[in-house]
Amino acid sequence: MIKESYSLTDENELVKAALDGDQKAFGDIVNHYRKMVARTVKGMLGDSVFAEDVGQDVFIKLYHSLSEFRGEARLSTYIQKIAVNLTLNEIKRRKRFFSLFLQKGNNEMYEFEIAEQDTEERKDTSEIVNKALMMMDSKFRIILTMRMLQGYSTRETAEMLNLPLGTVLSRLSRAQTQLKDILEKHLK
Amino acid sequence: MKYSEIKEILINSLNNDCDTTDYSRRLEDAGVSYDFRDGFSDKVLGKLFPPGSIINHEVDFLKTMNYVFYRVTLPGVAAIVLLLISFYLMEGSLTFNSFLGLSDNYDESIVCLLTGNL
Repeated sequence: MIKESYSLTDENELVKAALDGDQKAFGDIVNHYRKMVARTVKGMLGDSVFAEDVGQDVFIKLYHSLSEFRGEARLSTYIQKIAVNLTLNEIKRRKRFFSLFLQKGNNEMYEFEIAEQDTEERKDTSEIVNKALMMMDSKFRIILTMRMLQGYSTRETAEMLNLPLGTVLSRLSRAQTQLKDILEKHLK
Repeated sequence: MKYSEIKEILINSLNNDCDTTDYSRRLEDAGVSYDFRDGFSDKVLGKLFPPGSIINHEVDFLKTMNYVFYRVTLPGVAAIVLLLISFYLMEGSLTFNSFLGLSDNYDESIVCLLTGNL
């Protein structure tokens, strides 16, 4: 029997219902966590079709791996880790793609992406944040996304990215230096 | 939100001991929010549960049942035919009594051979 509504506090019940084939239960999970996933995916990839596709892939992968979710960690953490992994994979894929184009001397797509960002004149809060994020190196961008957009602590960021705490601390410092430079030189 | 304020939030959010939750909340209040486009959930559910999937499951079930039916029925019918033939050979007829082993046609020849009472 399909339930009409669920309490989102009981994640395990939702997961169990979804595993039993309750489509509405999985729909509830998607609707509840879509903004959290969007912050990670769009914070890292920008507001693009790629980000939409990766976002969908996150929930599709979640559905297929739900049986492995044992309820020891929060469902949000589990989803967030999938989102981080798939986003980093997409960044690697794009880097490989662009490096192929650049090797062949065809860098129009890469230039177009940068040019499109620069044509915007309005500098409201959202645009400044997005531009700053997009101009950072991906390994620093993920740190800023986890902390600034998701509100994770240093320890939580390290756990989420599967990195040693010392590495995250080091990257925090280097990311801050790069961010200051971007804000001073490019976005003022 | 002023540019200086945004800059402060961005840079300070990378301090190790800062309250990141407060910064993310302030940014959200200032309009920095992220979401997927309309119809996102429908697209995800559509990919996971295509409309024809229930019908496909039913068709698969019927195919499986058909296969099981043939696997069970044909050997069953063959076994029954063999049983009837063996009854007929042993009893000489297929009457109800022959099925119960009550027919008059009781061949003692094997008993005679074994006991030597010819």
